[in-house]
Amino acid sequence: MKAVLAAALRAGARGAPAADRLCLACLPLLGVDAAAISLIDDGESRGTFGASDEIARALDGLQFTTGEGPCMEASHTSMPVLIADLNAPQETRWPAFRDAAARSDVRAVFAVPIQVGRITVGALDLFRRSTGTLSPTQLMDAVLVAEAAAQVLLDVVEGRTDTQLGAGPVEQWEQLIALAHIEVYQATGMLMAQLDVSAATALVRLRAYAFSHELTAHDVAQLIVTRQLDMQP
Amino acid sequence: MTAPEPYPLLREQPHVTVEAAPQMEDVAATLIRLADTLVEDFDLLAALHELTRDCVALLNVTAAGLLLAPPGKQLGVVAASSEQSRLLELAQLQRDQGPCLDCYRTGEPVSVHDLTAHPKQWPLFSDAALSAGYRSVHAIPMRLRSQVIGALNLFSKHPDELSGARLRLGQALADMATISILQAQALRESEDLAGQLQFALTSRVILEQAKGVLAERGQLSMEQAFVALRRYARDHNQRLHEVSLGIVNSTISPALVIGPPRRERPLER
Repeated sequence: MKAVLAAALRAGARGAPAADRLCLACLPLLGVDAAAISLIDDGESRGTFGASDEIARALDGLQFTTGEGPCMEASHTSMPVLIADLNAPQETRWPAFRDAAARSDVRAVFAVPIQVGRITVGALDLFRRSTGTLSPTQLMDAVLVAEAAAQVLLDVVEGRTDTQLGAGPVEQWEQLIALAHIEVYQATGMLMAQLDVSAATALVRLRAYAFSHELTAHDVAQLIVTRQLDMQP
Repeated sequence: MTAPEPYPLLREQPHVTVEAAPQMEDVAATLIRLADTLVEDFDLLAALHELTRDCVALLNVTAAGLLLAPPGKQLGVVAASSEQSRLLELAQLQRDQGPCLDCYRTGEPVSVHDLTAHPKQWPLFSDAALSAGYRSVHAIPMRLRSQVIGALNLFSKHPDELSGARLRLGQALADMATISILQAQALRESEDLAGQLQFALTSRVILEQAKGVLAERGQLSMEQAFVALRRYARDHNQRLHEVSLGIVNSTISPALVIGPPRRERPLER
C-alpha cells in the first residue's frame, strides 16, 4: 500500500499533478469512483487541489462555494465523515451538496482529514456510485492516502519547488512525525494569536522559520513557548 | 473492576496500614465520577484530566499522564495531571523510547524504581525525566480485551517501587480510563476503535492549540491557560473540546475565555 503511494508521489512532478495522480491511484485501492484533495487554509489558498476527474473536482469545489459538505465538516472537526447513503432520510446536513451529488449519481461519500502533525491542512474526498460503508481495511487505507496527501500539500503550502527539505518519501515521513510534539501544537496556537492566522498557516510559518534558521520545528516551538521568539509583525 | 480489598493488602504491605482505609473513599469517589461517562454531556478530556490527578493522589506519585495509540500509529498524550509543557513533552517523548512504549509493546507493566540505576535503558527519555526532576517512572497498560491501546504513565520525584496493591489500583485506574474513552458520548459517531482513539488524540491537539492562543493573548502560562479554558467550559456548560475548537476556529473570542484583566502582573515563569 505505502509502496503504491510512494510510487505515485515519486513519479516526477510535484504539487497539483502529484495530487491528481494520488487521487487516481486511490480509486482501485479504495473501491471508489472518484476522489479529490482539498486544501483548507485561510484566505486565497483554500480550494480543490487535486482530483481524479472533473466530477470529483466539481463536487469538491462546490463545497467551497456553498460552505457546506462532508469535506468542510471533516476539516472543521478533524474527524472522518462517512456517509454510506446520501439519500438516507436522516442525511439532511448539506442539502446543496446532496442535490449536486445526486445529479452526478454519487450515492456514498467519505471525507478523511489530511493532517500534518495532527493539524488539519485539508481533506481527502471519496465519491462512490453505490451505497454502503467503507470496509475497515479501506478506511485504514484511506487514512494512509490522506497521510501521503499531507506530503504533497506541504510542498505546495510552503511554496517549495525544490527538494531541499525532503529528499525522498522517507525523509518527508520523518519530518511529519517530528512535528508531533506537544510544544509544536502549543507554539502553533501562540503563532495563531501573534499573526492572526489559521492553524495550518501558523504551522507553515513555524516550519519556514525552522528551515531558514537551520533549526528543527521542535526547536522553534520551544523558543516560542518559552517566549524567547516572537514573530509578531 | 473493583478496588482492592483492604485486608490482603495490609498483609502484603504492612507499612501502608495507615493510608489504606481513608483511601477507599477516594477510590470510590473516582469510580463514581467516571461512571458519569455514560451520561449525555460527558466531557472526555476533562474527565481524563481529573483521572490523572486522582492517580497522583491515590497512588502517591508526583505526576501522571495517559498515552494512546490508534492501531498502526504512534503513542500520543491525551491527558496529564499538570498542563506544564515540560511534563506533557516528557510523556510525549515516549513516541520513540521509554517505559510507556515498552509497556505498550509488551502489554505488561514496566516499573523503574530508580532511573539513575538504569540510565542506559532509554538514554533520551531517562535524561529528560531526570532533568525534569523525576527519579522513578512506571507504565501500566491500558487494555481492551487482548488489545493494548495505550498506557498510564506515573512519575515520582523519589525512588519508588510500584507493586502489590498499588499496582493493582493503578491497573484499575488505567482500566477506568480505557472505559471512559470507549464510552464517551462524543465519540459515538466513530464506531471503530481506531477512530475513537484518533478522536481523543485530535481533541488533545486542538486543546494544546487553544491553550497556545490563550497563553499568547493573555500572557498566561500553559497551566493558567488551561484553567481559564476549563472555567469557561464549566460556566457555559460546554465540553473542553468544544471550547478549544471554538477558540481555534475563531468562533469563541479568546478575551471572553481569559476574562477581565487580573490585578497581578503577568507571569514571567
